[in-house]
Amino acid sequence: MERFKASLLKEILLLLHDKVGLLLMYLMPLLLVFIITIVQDSAFRLVNENRLDILIVNNDKGPLGDSLVQSMKNAGSFKIDVKEGVDESQLANLTLEGSKLATLFVPANFTQSLSSNSQRISDAMLSEFGMETVERENSGNEKEVQGGVKLIFDPVLQESFQVTLINNLQTMISGIESKEMIRQLYADMGYDEIPSKILKELNRNRTKIVAKPAMSGESAMIPNSTQHNVPAWSIFAMFFMVISLGSNLVKERLSGSFVRLQTIPGSFLHAMFAKIAVYSFVALTQLMIMFAIGVFVFPLIGLPKLNLPSHIFPFLLISVLSAMAAISYAAMVGTYAKTQEQANGFGAISIIIFAAIGGIWVPSFVMPDYMVMISKLSPLHWCLEGFYSLFLKDGSWNQLMGPVIYLVVFTVLCQFLSLWKLRRQHYI
Amino acid sequence: MTEFKQSSHILKVSGITKRYPKADAFSLADVSFDVFRGEKLGIFGPNGAGKTTLISILSGILPETSGEVNYFIDNQSTNFKKILPKIGFVPQDFALYQELTAAQNLRYFGTMHGLKKTELEDKISSLLTILGLDHVGNRKLASFSGGMKRRINLAIGLINDPEILFLDEPTVGVDVQSKVAIMTLLNELNAKGTTMIYTSHHLREAEDFCDRTLLLDNGRIIAEGTLNDLLKQHSAESLEDLLIHLTGKALRD
Repeated sequence: MERFKASLLKEILLLLHDKVGLLLMYLMPLLLVFIITIVQDSAFRLVNENRLDILIVNNDKGPLGDSLVQSMKNAGSFKIDVKEGVDESQLANLTLEGSKLATLFVPANFTQSLSSNSQRISDAMLSEFGMETVERENSGNEKEVQGGVKLIFDPVLQESFQVTLINNLQTMISGIESKEMIRQLYADMGYDEIPSKILKELNRNRTKIVAKPAMSGESAMIPNSTQHNVPAWSIFAMFFMVISLGSNLVKERLSGSFVRLQTIPGSFLHAMFAKIAVYSFVALTQLMIMFAIGVFVFPLIGLPKLNLPSHIFPFLLISVLSAMAAISYAAMVGTYAKTQEQANGFGAISIIIFAAIGGIWVPSFVMPDYMVMISKLSPLHWCLEGFYSLFLKDGSWNQLMGPVIYLVVFTVLCQFLSLWKLRRQHYI
Repeated sequence: MTEFKQSSHILKVSGITKRYPKADAFSLADVSFDVFRGEKLGIFGPNGAGKTTLISILSGILPETSGEVNYFIDNQSTNFKKILPKIGFVPQDFALYQELTAAQNLRYFGTMHGLKKTELEDKISSLLTILGLDHVGNRKLASFSGGMKRRINLAIGLINDPEILFLDEPTVGVDVQSKVAIMTLLNELNAKGTTMIYTSHHLREAEDFCDRTLLLDNGRIIAEGTLNDLLKQHSAESLEDLLIHLTGKALRD
């Protein structure tokens, strides 16, 4: 026990001396989680809250242009600015200069166009019912009035948002068209306006869509930038210990300290177990600090609060398995690297690549299919999958089984390869 | 030599060979010799002769490819694991933690050797004093000169009061003051009964230090005996002269 305690103390002193390693393990992920969460939060809000910033140029001389503007405002999905009397040729510049994601141009004859269409449909319907059609000023002139709206997009706006906006607009215009058509029909039948009972039914007649995230339990966690970034960057931080632990191992090997330990019975294994213990502590404190920031600090700066999973034991299991996977990988790199530069370079680059393909930077669900397949090679992906199951899906054991099996196999494989190499080098 | 032959064996090496994986040639080939309790055996030879490989095998760091190394306690052949706690090893490299202080290094390796706290603290204090480092015991090794680090390297090898001490170039790269301090301590320890197996390129120092000499070249023993006997036998004036005479002037890798 004294040997283990001495080895622990030695490892702690070496770790405290490794200022760069400590900064990389604790400060860098903290900065990253703040920066990336703030940046991504606006994108997540755009997706989740649909607050697209839109300019509407309403040149319509009739009332339907105003109805369309009102519908857009009522939708609550857009941040609307309205201008009038702007020439169509200025729309592109107006969009870019005003930093709007899109500009909706409502032409001067928008109401006229919709009314004209409604009149034709009303006439056709009355005729179909065998009723007398109304004599109009422009009867016999069948020329269709062109009064379609125009939508000018900022080139940076993703296609998915463009489609969303067009679909929203189409729905609103369809609603206005339907209402105008019914109003026209009633007007042609001699009513001044649509009877209130009909109007009420028209407004009520909407098919409800209930949308909610898929979860196995009763948890109501909503995916947001915090729920992705805090676990993601915590995992990245844990794996980045390869810089500290990897170079620590190489240094001891190259300095001859390991050789000296070989001549002291049993001391080498004590030294290795002490390393694992100290770096396990590091990994778990990294997680605790990052999660605490997600829970307590993020809400203070306007970011979504991190909702911790309700199942504590699976949460601890995934945390410990992730830590062990990170330590085992770092130990393997440190065992195989010939120099500290090699351990640092290979270690850092490999973790960055694992992070990129593993969905740390960009969630793997937005990746193409072949990248999703490749992402399964990354241990960071499986750590993240485990935390995703817990944080977003209220993870059941079935959902956690994949990550647990992968992480156990990965850890055992790394440990085996490290021990095999150390054995070949006669350290054990 | 006669004096030591009358004393007991501590080590008997019988026909050991060593071939590293993927190596074309043997690093050691059919090496046999005895080491007697209390003697100072010097192993010399040009670069690549196999000195470090031999010391590494004797101290249990490397396995031999073939042959046998037998250790003795009270003239009885014993298991290597039993002799291991009685071995001290001073490698050529600074096998220590530069980020820790001198005392922390000694405390760590001493604890790993199984020394109890009071005994260990006394030993640390005594070694630091003997080696003239008591005033810098709480300074990190990173701030030490090469000579100071070399003395700490030796102190760590002595922390467990070894009965047999392997010294691989213990004075390489140090100033004359450090060298004198190290050699004086080694002679004192030897006078108290510690057996020493030593390699060095400082041949003048080795002439004064060693009781018996083993010359290696290309992994084979080319001469063995007391320095005086060897000098007479080969009509050489010094150890350097003897080495040149036996191994030639051609440069080695």
